[in-house]
Amino acid sequence: MDPNTLALFQTLAQGLLTGGIYALIGTGLSLIFGVMRVINFAHGDFLAVGMFIALFLFQRFHLDPYLSLLIAAPLGFGLGYLVQRFLLARLGDRLESSSLLATLGLGLILSNGLLLGFGAQPQSINVAYATQTFKLGGVQISLPLLVAGLGTLLAIGLLNLFLYRTELGRAVRATAQNPLGAELQGVNTTWVQAVVFGLGVAFAVVAGVLLLPLLYAFPTVGENYTLKAFVVTVLGGLGNLPGAIVGGLILGIIESLGAYYLSNNYRDAYGLVVFLAVLLLRPEGLFGRTVKRV
Amino acid sequence: MKRTLLSLTTLLLAGAACAETINVGAITSLTGRFATFGKMQKAGFQVAIDEINAAGGVGGNKLALLLVDDASDTNKALSAAEKLLNQKVPLIIGSYSSGITKPLSQYMARQKVPLLVATAVDETITKPGNAYTFRVNNQSSVYSRSLLDLFKRMNDTKAGTIKTVAVLTSNDAFGKSVYTDVTTLFTKAGYQVVSKDTYDQGLTDFRPILNRYKALNPDAVLLASYEQDAVAVAKQVKEVGLAPKVIAGIATGFALPNFLDGAGSAADNMLVAMVWNPDVIYPGAQNLYARLKKALGGEEPSQHAAQSYAAMLAAAAAIKQGGSDPEKVREALTKISINTAFGPVKFRNYGGYQNQNAVVGLITQVQGGKFVTVAPATAAKGKLVMPKK
Amino acid sequence: MTAAAVTSRPRALTYGNVWLSAVLLGVMALYPFVFGKSLNFGVSTLLLAGFAMSWNILGGWAGQLSLGHAALLGIGAYTVTLFAIPERAPAWLGLAGPVAPWWGALIGMALAALLALVWGRLTFGLRGSYFTLSSIAVALIIRLVVINEDFGGGAEGLFMPDLPKLFGLDLFDRHVEYGLAFTFVALTLLVTHLLRRSRLGYALQAVREDEDGARALGIDPTRMKLAAFVLSAVLTALGGSIYAIYLQAFEPHTLLELPLSVQIALMAIIGGRSSIQGPILGALLLAVFGEVFRNVFANANLLIYGVLILAVTLFAPDGLSGLFKRRGSKLGTNR
Repeated sequence: MDPNTLALFQTLAQGLLTGGIYALIGTGLSLIFGVMRVINFAHGDFLAVGMFIALFLFQRFHLDPYLSLLIAAPLGFGLGYLVQRFLLARLGDRLESSSLLATLGLGLILSNGLLLGFGAQPQSINVAYATQTFKLGGVQISLPLLVAGLGTLLAIGLLNLFLYRTELGRAVRATAQNPLGAELQGVNTTWVQAVVFGLGVAFAVVAGVLLLPLLYAFPTVGENYTLKAFVVTVLGGLGNLPGAIVGGLILGIIESLGAYYLSNNYRDAYGLVVFLAVLLLRPEGLFGRTVKRV
Repeated sequence: MKRTLLSLTTLLLAGAACAETINVGAITSLTGRFATFGKMQKAGFQVAIDEINAAGGVGGNKLALLLVDDASDTNKALSAAEKLLNQKVPLIIGSYSSGITKPLSQYMARQKVPLLVATAVDETITKPGNAYTFRVNNQSSVYSRSLLDLFKRMNDTKAGTIKTVAVLTSNDAFGKSVYTDVTTLFTKAGYQVVSKDTYDQGLTDFRPILNRYKALNPDAVLLASYEQDAVAVAKQVKEVGLAPKVIAGIATGFALPNFLDGAGSAADNMLVAMVWNPDVIYPGAQNLYARLKKALGGEEPSQHAAQSYAAMLAAAAAIKQGGSDPEKVREALTKISINTAFGPVKFRNYGGYQNQNAVVGLITQVQGGKFVTVAPATAAKGKLVMPKK
Repeated sequence: MTAAAVTSRPRALTYGNVWLSAVLLGVMALYPFVFGKSLNFGVSTLLLAGFAMSWNILGGWAGQLSLGHAALLGIGAYTVTLFAIPERAPAWLGLAGPVAPWWGALIGMALAALLALVWGRLTFGLRGSYFTLSSIAVALIIRLVVINEDFGGGAEGLFMPDLPKLFGLDLFDRHVEYGLAFTFVALTLLVTHLLRRSRLGYALQAVREDEDGARALGIDPTRMKLAAFVLSAVLTALGGSIYAIYLQAFEPHTLLELPLSVQIALMAIIGGRSSIQGPILGALLLAVFGEVFRNVFANANLLIYGVLILAVTLFAPDGLSGLFKRRGSKLGTNR
């Protein structure tokens, strides 16, 4: 293969895998929005929390980041559950903007809390597989990036099983479609909402853990990812889970191809431009299924 | 607020009471996103102050360091400068980054008090027009020039032919400064710049652009970035299988000891342009290294610590001649010429710069998990190792 | 201000009163005489207060939460500087020489108004949080363009050149700059007071409370919001041009960042979106707090913003000034 074609394939493959991580983050955000109509401005900061949990466990106990998922994910769920139960639920039916502000404040508390706890200095872990790659027909793929992609698949698969194969999952869907109706049918929606927020946060935390071997942790790392999550969910339609997955993959590919062929200088702008275009032209997302209750 | 003012006045009175100490003002980023560099600066200042005072101070007077944190924020740096000027410091050293230092230098010039710059490399800082700004460290183009010298030597000795380069920098003032240096200086010297790119800070996926470099296959890839990105880009260079003859990182993020830890084997054989390394042959360099390391509590010092050390020595030399009058100190600064373990410090007007110390750029190579100075021959002990193909 | 007029207004916007504004202005006017040695802090704090006030015309009165105001501030700063730099100004418009900063500021305000018109027309169709999301996106795209293109000095930013004197006053004298910042805040206060008594003000309140209801009354919500956006943008750009003179050197990385937009918005909201002076109070409080505790929270100076904004959304939707007012009216001192 000539080097240009090879580079194209490699860029596509890596874009797809990066998009997988975006999808994981976006799914969490979209799930929360779908059930509670809350745009979680702290989403990226929860991701940062995940990174620091894994970092801490690695530095203190030499726990492999992938193993630390077993601790980080439940912690993330618990954190999200508590936040919804004891903070956001108290906002009740107040203006949508108040939940936006509350999560914005929460994000600032999380990132600045991490700053106080861990310092501003970026920290990375140096595990043996961090730079390991393997070749697939000439295309070179990073091992941790592939693991992150597979992790996304697994997490989303599990979420599907949960939503469509369990009693609680049915309650979640019912609450998403009609909270009042679900309440009348005996669903404890307060509880369901806390579970959903917990799940959404757990997704962000898992993404953070999966990213740690690829990147480095610093307290304000979340800002960028919150924005990516917004882009992903708006592309797919807020509250639309399959849409968020496709949205993530699309964003990953747009960014990679844009950076490769157009200009790396505007890498972050490509997603934002598409985001604005979708917002203005198709606010329900690329794939229809209107969630107009906003 | 009133209370702050009161405590400020008491401080002033206290300062006036013991006339044997001379306060030297310094501003750096002890917290915020430049905290890593601020810590290095603080260690450098402290080591220099201790050395000066141990040797009897300045004209019999002890020096005291008034160090204020700007939290990596321009407005806080400006109010810190005002605070220090209220305490009648004869000069201020600071701040870390170019973005904060530029407004600071403008303000200090208006107040007619000298500003000594120790770390900020933006070319514009010592462009003519501001008689109160003096720079101990280098302007950014020094890095590109020393790389050019090395490449020329490699080409001359057939150690490896470099004809094409690609450059990727962060899109902040420092990165763009390097970007401009490389694109102009390398083009002028007859190299072909096959791709020139910037990236947004905090962005952590460099794969697409590195893939493009891989397809373009330049002889050298030049990189400039702040601390966190240096690790990520080095790892991803390896990940995408980009293997040019030379990969060079330019100062800042790459020149930090913790870059070596973070990047691990991905940094092997990389060239890093900087202006100070413990193994340089300036007298006292090893000793300075040991003292800085001690001041940092065992952490490896970076060039920023040595630059700050030299700035404090320059400040002391100027105060020795000029006393506590800012105008006289400014005059003294234009005349001083000292030799330090960082290298000589003398502020000159040359090559379109004003009050700029001419700093020798070094090229180091990461060998066995350490920076080894390999160029220029006048300062280096180590030998350049070409990557095995 | 008659009693009847007061009671006819919705609760939320009734309790701005002229006296409080006068007291605030008096305090601000006295500051340089008392704290003449901390003028840098004074100028930057007043500018922030003015930005929060300007933001509130859109964020509070029109109820459109913008997290992109740094872009408008940047337009003011960049325009005044670019037009003042001899080598750049003529290249732009074939002008004979540099443009005095007061004209430059006016041009910047006009450009900001233009941007707000286009930006608003495109995005006011979006309801609720969508506008907020789009404001972030627009501001970040502008930021990237300024960083990457050369017209504004790129990432290295600009230096303010020597400026002509204004009525014999040196614009780089901190006292003069304090006066400019003070005038800016006073202007935002005046505009807000006038707005409160204007048709636009009533229409905006109606739209904010119930958009569909307002439409039924013959009010065009998009037009009203656009007017508020333009007003807010023009004032923000004015403040931005003063900020540029104060800084004398700036980069896109200090002016156009998202955290600055967030900071401006949060100052206003924490202070109180629905009272006239709330944003000023929020800005003063947070700035003084930040300065006093700079050694404690220097590392995490936005922590207090996070805590306060969370507390405000949970317990005091009208902001801190709302708290005082509620207590005030209970005590019967307010009306």
